[in-house]
Amino acid sequence: MVGIVLAIVLASSTRSRKEAHADELAEHEKTWLWIVVAILVALFLASIWFTPYSRSAGSDKQVLHVAARQFAWDIRPATLRAGVPVEIRLTSLDVNHAFGVYDPAGKLVFQVQVMPERTQKAVKTFDRPGTYKVLCLEFCGFLHHGMVGSFEVRR
Amino acid sequence: MSTTPVAVDAVDAEAVHAARRLTLSYLWASTAIFLASGLLGMLLRFSQAGVPGHVGDSFWYATLTAHGLGAFVGWGAFAVMGFAWWVLASVGLPPRPFGVAMARLTWWLMVLGVAGVIVTTLLMGFGASWVFLYPLPFSSAGQWSDTAAGLFSASVLLVGLAIVTWCVGILHTIVGPGLHATSPRFLNRLGVGLGFGYLLPRRFGTNGRPVPYAVIPLTVIAIDMIIATLPLAGLLIFSVFKAFHPSLGIDPLLAKNILWFFGHPVVYLLLFPAVAVFYHLVPRYAGRRLVAGNVIAVAWVLAVVTNVIIWAHHVYLDYPEGSFQGALNTAHQPLTFIIVIPSLLSLYSLSFTIFRSHWQWGAAQTALFLALVSWFLAGAQGVINATIAFQETVHNTLWIVGHFHHMAIMNIGLVIIAATYAYLPELIGKPLYSEALGKWHIWLTFVGVTGNSFLWLWQGMEGAPRRFARLPEEYAGTLTYLGLPFVVLAGLAQVLFVINLVQTVRGRGLVPAAERRPRSSVAAEGAFMLIAIGLAATTFFIGYFLGRAGDDKTSGTAVPTQADDPGKTVFADAGCGSCHTFAAAGSSGSVGPNLDTLQLDATRVSVAVTAGLGAMPSFKGRLSDRQIADVAAFVSGSTR
Repeated sequence: MVGIVLAIVLASSTRSRKEAHADELAEHEKTWLWIVVAILVALFLASIWFTPYSRSAGSDKQVLHVAARQFAWDIRPATLRAGVPVEIRLTSLDVNHAFGVYDPAGKLVFQVQVMPERTQKAVKTFDRPGTYKVLCLEFCGFLHHGMVGSFEVRR
Repeated sequence: MSTTPVAVDAVDAEAVHAARRLTLSYLWASTAIFLASGLLGMLLRFSQAGVPGHVGDSFWYATLTAHGLGAFVGWGAFAVMGFAWWVLASVGLPPRPFGVAMARLTWWLMVLGVAGVIVTTLLMGFGASWVFLYPLPFSSAGQWSDTAAGLFSASVLLVGLAIVTWCVGILHTIVGPGLHATSPRFLNRLGVGLGFGYLLPRRFGTNGRPVPYAVIPLTVIAIDMIIATLPLAGLLIFSVFKAFHPSLGIDPLLAKNILWFFGHPVVYLLLFPAVAVFYHLVPRYAGRRLVAGNVIAVAWVLAVVTNVIIWAHHVYLDYPEGSFQGALNTAHQPLTFIIVIPSLLSLYSLSFTIFRSHWQWGAAQTALFLALVSWFLAGAQGVINATIAFQETVHNTLWIVGHFHHMAIMNIGLVIIAATYAYLPELIGKPLYSEALGKWHIWLTFVGVTGNSFLWLWQGMEGAPRRFARLPEEYAGTLTYLGLPFVVLAGLAQVLFVINLVQTVRGRGLVPAAERRPRSSVAAEGAFMLIAIGLAATTFFIGYFLGRAGDDKTSGTAVPTQADDPGKTVFADAGCGSCHTFAAAGSSGSVGPNLDTLQLDATRVSVAVTAGLGAMPSFKGRLSDRQIADVAAFVSGSTR
């Protein structure tokens, strides 16, 4: 929206008779640059805390083992407790996959890559009870779209 | 002076003529690839929506691979690589004999490489997508051979070599006599090309003739793409060898990093030469110098370095235990933010060069302006993608597909279109056939592609996955169908493009390009287009709901229920239901794929049951041929 408004202002301004002064415009540039840098720094500082790396599930954790292969998920155990941190340990038996988890309302809550020859650890807590659907979110072959799994979260 | 169409004081007419022929050859080849890969894209979109039906899954993914590489490299990159020769010639740097040789070699390598990609995907079935993440090319679940994977890798290698030879030719051209650099040393002249003279005028002297701004992004990308492409070439050579020696192996995480070490900068192989076109054409049409050009010249220093050290933003969601990937990814987030700065400064300078200038709204000017708008919008989406925390919910969804189609077609594509309308008359010495037709083409393309891209962004925010031949049911509804009229609009608009080009080449243009005085209001054009979108959307909704009402009446009678189907017995006895969900058999297994979603044909089922597939064991020996045929008929017959 902002972009569209700016575009219209800019487009209509070319019809104006008064020519803008290049040096003046060059001066304003610094102000705009600092505003953008400030926005980027703010976004960085606000978002970096949500980076999902190296999380710990604590001592009371549950462990979910996930093995992916063309074109199926092996998810154990099938049921988790709500509200208790889960350490998800994922690996692939063949190609690259991605573990995309959709909550009972159908919202994509998170995803993580699943690689062959590696074990990936992700830590998440599922508060909402119900059936969580798992889609593969890294292209893995001609039945990629059929690679669907699920697990349950109970109170 | 960078604003003159063809530098008069520049060297011999022969070199300029060579640049003219080179640019034309790139333009014709890339335009042909554009039309072909655009059609493939339309096929993908319609098949995914099931209108009028779905193509086979393997074919869909093979087409996806061909479309991705074809459109991105064969059209986008190839086209801007061609215009780079003309931009350089126009600012007094036409290619010398070695540069011409490199440019011709590039053309052949690119054309052969793209042809190889088409053959190995559409004819040999290779469908590992354009990122072909190792080991998928060699783990095809029976869909394509290792030979196809090897030939595909060899084809992409040709494309990679084309990029390297282009870079070498461009650098050789830039350091030529037209640069006016005082130092004879290659590295110093390269520094002049990078715009260092704006910072250190004495060290990088140019006899008082500062380097034209358009040269800077070309120098940056030519250096970076050599660095970025060489490791990929190594990976591709490995893949070719692996096709013959299946025992060879490579760390999948390393392979992924090598792919993206190339995969990120290749985006800028499209963007930076497009920026050079902006720097060349916008001051020309505005009738004045680029505003604050000296500031952006300095900002490009940031780009040349950061461009090759931000690839990890493509692998933010890989952080396996015992690797440094997490730390690398974390470092690449602020570095990725830094690359925003040269883009933003360019946007500022270009916008305010247009601001209150003598800008006229011809076809090329309209395309350049809309490209600037899209650059701003798609760039803002890019900041979201650059943030690790957001990636957990946007990565590999249709959000990403919306973002890069928006950026690639509505920024870079529109620059290509602008450059075609602006340069073609100079290249062939005939006026453009019709400015008005050009503007129709541009506006219709803008509406079609922007509309479709925004629908993808929206679907992505709802979690719709990317690279799915068939979308999950919850995402296959309204928004998917709503995109189709926009796709058709964008497709039909290209007919106007072709007519305009053909008529221009035939010399049917009436008004000499220099005398054109377009008289129209951009606001009126915009309003008209908004009304057109409204009408298209309304028509669509009416059709959609009428269609749905029709469906409701017939549903429930379509599924044949046959109690004594022998295939159903086989399905139950062989235990298929313990792994597969299949409504017709009343099973709900979740180990293997859901057969209701897949809608397989009988051949595919019998191949999978007989030979096994991925995790699925072979049932040959356990089931007779007759039983396999029965179960195949049951599975395919009950879902179609």
